[in-house]
Amino acid sequence: MAMTEPSYEHGTRGVPYIDGPKIVVMASDSQDPGSATFCIRNEDHTLGNALRYIIMKKCGLSFCGYSVPHPSEYQINLRIQTDGTITAVDALHQGLSDLIDLTAHVKETFTDKIKQGGYELREGADPDAE
Amino acid sequence: MDATAFAQETGPTITLLEVKDSPETRSVSFILSKTDLATANALRRVMIAEVPTMAIDLVEFESNTSVLTDEFLAHRLGLIPLNSEQVGTITYTRECSCQQYCPQCSVELHLNVRCTEDHTREVTTRDLVSSHTSIAPVLNGPNDRGILIAKLRKGQEINLRCIAKKGTAKEHAKWSPCAGVAFEYDPHNRLRHTTYWIEDDVKSEWPVSANGRFEPEVAEDEPFDYNAKPEAFYMTVEGTGALDPKEIVTTGLRILQAKLSLVQLLLKEIAEERGAVARPPMNGFH
Ligand SMILES: [Zn+2]
Repeated sequence: MAMTEPSYEHGTRGVPYIDGPKIVVMASDSQDPGSATFCIRNEDHTLGNALRYIIMKKCGLSFCGYSVPHPSEYQINLRIQTDGTITAVDALHQGLSDLIDLTAHVKETFTDKIKQGGYELREGADPDAE
Repeated sequence: MDATAFAQETGPTITLLEVKDSPETRSVSFILSKTDLATANALRRVMIAEVPTMAIDLVEFESNTSVLTDEFLAHRLGLIPLNSEQVGTITYTRECSCQQYCPQCSVELHLNVRCTEDHTREVTTRDLVSSHTSIAPVLNGPNDRGILIAKLRKGQEINLRCIAKKGTAKEHAKWSPCAGVAFEYDPHNRLRHTTYWIEDDVKSEWPVSANGRFEPEVAEDEPFDYNAKPEAFYMTVEGTGALDPKEIVTTGLRILQAKLSLVQLLLKEIAEERGAVARPPMNGFH
């Protein structure tokens, strides 16, 4: 009996995926470096909402929001507007750093609590670890 | 700002509630507090959909004279949890250099059962033989009979070959390492994010969950605070057996970090292209 074959020429088969650069700054008429819309490909609410929250927490921000423009296109648009004390690119960069730190902190705390509780946690158990 | 500085400023805290590690349930319960719904939800979403495991993806039927169709059996086989502790050693097929699949990106399993007795032969995951030392159907000790795949009558047989691949639940739910992720906040409904449907009395008809003990009850005359936000998130991660639930949490966080680091790295390139004065990275990429 023949095997049902996935079409590999399409690259990723069932995995939601959209071709193109991971992140682009959307074209705009505005000359204001404090405002920008970033299109982040192959990301969804997981990153979008967390980034929106962490960026909005910072001073100098007048607006930060995100949207998933179309449910069948795996990308998000992230809009940042600042009061001019910081550029939108810097605000996003800082937001990413803060979220990385937050995640690292949660991971560290979780690992500590697990070990304090006398439980075992496999070292280097992370798949995909670079 | 390093991780410790961040912790001192606003850092989320974790209170470990329970770790179950019995053959019946493998789960970890904790409270994630001093953070926002957005970040707690990001963790929940990433654990469900982006932590990779192994699952059967291709099935080649040599023979199937059982009452179940090939498609039906193939679907059932796909949903069987495979021990995925070693998933880190396997590459995604789409990233592999091979044409179709190879030992680097797949694991082969065989199922060859024929009923020769007068009574019904139960085909379980115990009959599913893996060619890999650890990537095999999950079994909880020697008394576990395994997951029922099909039942055979005398003379019926199933003979097939399965190819298990690495994947995530973004593609198909069979790759999710989580049997369930319980996620609750505001057990007393102080924030009124939900409206209960009641007949007479909300307290007797909607008993407060076990997490209610961590927060004060809402007083009768308590004024509604419309500025209040959820701050504590009660999470229970129950695994399918493919991965240790504790590991699902740490791997989920790691993947979240990796996603963010990638975006940050590429954003830096954009910033440099645009000639913007990009801030130097505040810390190394984790
Ligand atoms: Zn391969």
